[in-house]
Amino acid sequence: MSLENGDHKVTQPILASLTRPQPATARLVPVKTFLGEMPLALLVLAMLLGLVTLFSGDSFTLNTLATALLFAGLSSAWNIIGGFGGQFSLAHSVFFAVGAYTTANLYLRAGVSPWLGLIPAAALAALVACVLSWPVFRLRGPFFAIATMAFTEVALALGNYMEWATGGTRGMSIPFRPGLANMIFRDRFSYALLMLGFAALCLMVVIAIKRSRLGYYLQAVRDNEQAARAAGIDVLRVKLKGMAISAALTGIGGGLFLMQVRVADPSALLSLFDFGVKFALIALIGGLGTIYGPLLGALLVIPLESWLRAELGGLMPGANLIALSVCLILASLFMKQGIVGASGRLAILAGRRWRR
Amino acid sequence: MADLINVIAVGILLGGIYALVSVGLNLIFGVIRIVNFAQGEFVMLGMYGTYAGYTYLHLDPYLTLIVVLPCLFVVGAVVQRLILAPLRTEPAMQIFATFGLLMLLENVVLAATGGAAYSVTSRVAQISVDLAGVQVGLVRLIALAAATLVTVALGVFLRYSMLGRAIRAVAQDRSAARLMGVNVDRIYMLTFGIGTMLAGFAGCLLAPIYSLSPQIGTSFILPAFAVVVLGGLGSVPGAYVGGFIVGLTEAFAGYYLDPALKHAVLFGVFIAVLIIRPSGLFGQIGAEEVGLRES
Repeated sequence: MSLENGDHKVTQPILASLTRPQPATARLVPVKTFLGEMPLALLVLAMLLGLVTLFSGDSFTLNTLATALLFAGLSSAWNIIGGFGGQFSLAHSVFFAVGAYTTANLYLRAGVSPWLGLIPAAALAALVACVLSWPVFRLRGPFFAIATMAFTEVALALGNYMEWATGGTRGMSIPFRPGLANMIFRDRFSYALLMLGFAALCLMVVIAIKRSRLGYYLQAVRDNEQAARAAGIDVLRVKLKGMAISAALTGIGGGLFLMQVRVADPSALLSLFDFGVKFALIALIGGLGTIYGPLLGALLVIPLESWLRAELGGLMPGANLIALSVCLILASLFMKQGIVGASGRLAILAGRRWRR
Repeated sequence: MADLINVIAVGILLGGIYALVSVGLNLIFGVIRIVNFAQGEFVMLGMYGTYAGYTYLHLDPYLTLIVVLPCLFVVGAVVQRLILAPLRTEPAMQIFATFGLLMLLENVVLAATGGAAYSVTSRVAQISVDLAGVQVGLVRLIALAAATLVTVALGVFLRYSMLGRAIRAVAQDRSAARLMGVNVDRIYMLTFGIGTMLAGFAGCLLAPIYSLSPQIGTSFILPAFAVVVLGGLGSVPGAYVGGFIVGLTEAFAGYYLDPALKHAVLFGVFIAVLIIRPSGLFGQIGAEEVGLRES
C-alpha cells in the first residue's frame, strides 16, 4: 500500500549513511521503547492538564476541550486498527454505541456505577467487534470499509428496533443526579478532567502497542499482507487483536460520552458523520499511524468545528461539515501523513538547511 | 396471493430504481477500480438539477435531462481529474477523498437550500396504471423502463463502439491498452464522467418519485453498493439483476418480517454475500482484489 508510512523514516538515515560517509554519531537512531516514549507523552499530558486548568473558569471552552479530548481518545483508539493496521473501519460508531448503551443500561437498571459499568462496556464492545470483524477481515481496503459501513446501517435498524435497550427512536435519557459515584458532575471542569483521563489512557495503550510486537505485526500487515503472512505472522489473529483493543477503548469512550450528554438516540450515536467517520478523519488530519497525530488532530478539528458551528450554524447549516470535508479531501491529496508527518518533514528540511 | 403479487411488484419496481442508481457506480468500479462513496451524491445533484430546471426554466422533469446530463458529465470529469487522478495508486486515500466528497456535496446542498425539502411533479406523476390487479405509479414504471434501456444501451456502447472498446480494454489491462495506443488517462476521465452522468440520469428520473433532501444521496449509496456486490463488480447485466435482488429482498423483508428491519435484513444478506462470494453473481472472481492492486 504505502512504503512512505511513519516508520520508514527510521531506516532512511541508515541507508543514507551507507551511501555517503557521515559522522557515525549523527546517524544512530535508537529504537524507541515504551519507557523511552514516556517523557514526551507525559510532557504532552502535563501540557493538556495545564490547558484544562487554565480555562477552568470558562465553561464554554471547557466543554469544547472535553469534547476534543474525548475525540482525541476515540481517534487514537481508531488509529490502532485504522492507522497501524491499515483496516479502514467505519463500524467504530457501532462499538461506541455498544459501550454507551451497556454503561447506561447497567446504571439505570441495576444501579451499577458508571465507573464499574465501563468495564463490561469495554468487554462487550471488544466482543462485538471480534464477532463482526472475524468474517469481514478477509475483505480488503474499500470492501472492508463498505462492509463495516453496512454494519453501522444494520446496527441503526436494530437500535431503533430494540426499544428495551435503547429507548428506540425516542432515545434514552439519564436523570441528573450529581455525584462522583454516578459520574455526573455540576461543573464542566470535572468533565474535562474525565476526558483528559480517557485521552491519557488511550495514549498509553497506543504507545504500548506501537512499541510492542503487536504494533510491528499490525504495521507489517498494513504494508503488505502477503509478505506479513509469508513472514509467519498470523494475519487474522493480529487484526482481531488490534480490533478488539481498539473497540474496547471506543466502548469506554461511548460510555463516557453518554454519561456526559445524558441523552441519546440510536441515530445520533450511530451517525456516520458525527462519529464513525470523524474518528478516521481526525486521525488522518493529525497523522495516520502516528502516536500523537490523533491527539493533535482532535485538538485542532473539534474547536474549529464548534467555532464554525457557533459562527455560521444559523446562517449556513452544515458549514462545519463543509470545512471538515474540504480538510479531508485536501489532507488525502497533499498531506497523507497528516500534521505530524508534514511537520516532521519540515523539521528534516529545516535541519538539513541548518547543518549546511 | 394478491399480497404476494403486490410485494413482488413493489420489489421489482424498487429494483428498477436501485439498478438505475447502481449502473454508474458499477461502471466506475469496473474500469477505474475506484469505490466511489460519493456516487449517491451525484444522484442527489441530478435530482436538485432537475428541481432547478423545473422551477427556473419551467421544464418538465423529464426534459431537464438535456441540461442535467452534460452538467454532471463535466462535474464528474473535473472531480476525476482534480481529486481522483492524483490518488490512483493509493486506495486508502481514495476512500478518504471520495468520502470527503460525499460530505462536501451533501453539506453544500444543505447550506444552499437551508435544509428545506423540495418536491418535483411531472404531468405523468399522478397517473397510475393497473397491471394484473396491482396499481403501479407511472413514474416508477418509467424508472424501471429507463433502467432496462440504460443497461442495454451501456452494454451495446461498451461492446460495439470504439470508445466502448477502449474502455473495456483499459478495464482488462491498463498497460496493454496503453501499448495499443489508448490514452488511458483520458479514458479514466471519460469513464468517470459517464458514470456521474448515469447518476444524474437516475437523479432526474427519481426526482418525481422521492421528495428531495440533501441526505437522500447517502440513503442510496449503501443499497447501490449492495447491488453492485451482489450482481458482480464491473458487470453491466450484473448491476441490473443485482438491483432486482436487492429490491425484492427489501420488499419481502419489509412485508413479511417488519418494515423496521428491512434494512437490517438487506444489509445482512449483503454482508453475507460479500463474505461468501465477494465477486458477486456475475462478476469475475478476484475482481475485488485486483481492484486494490496497481498493475
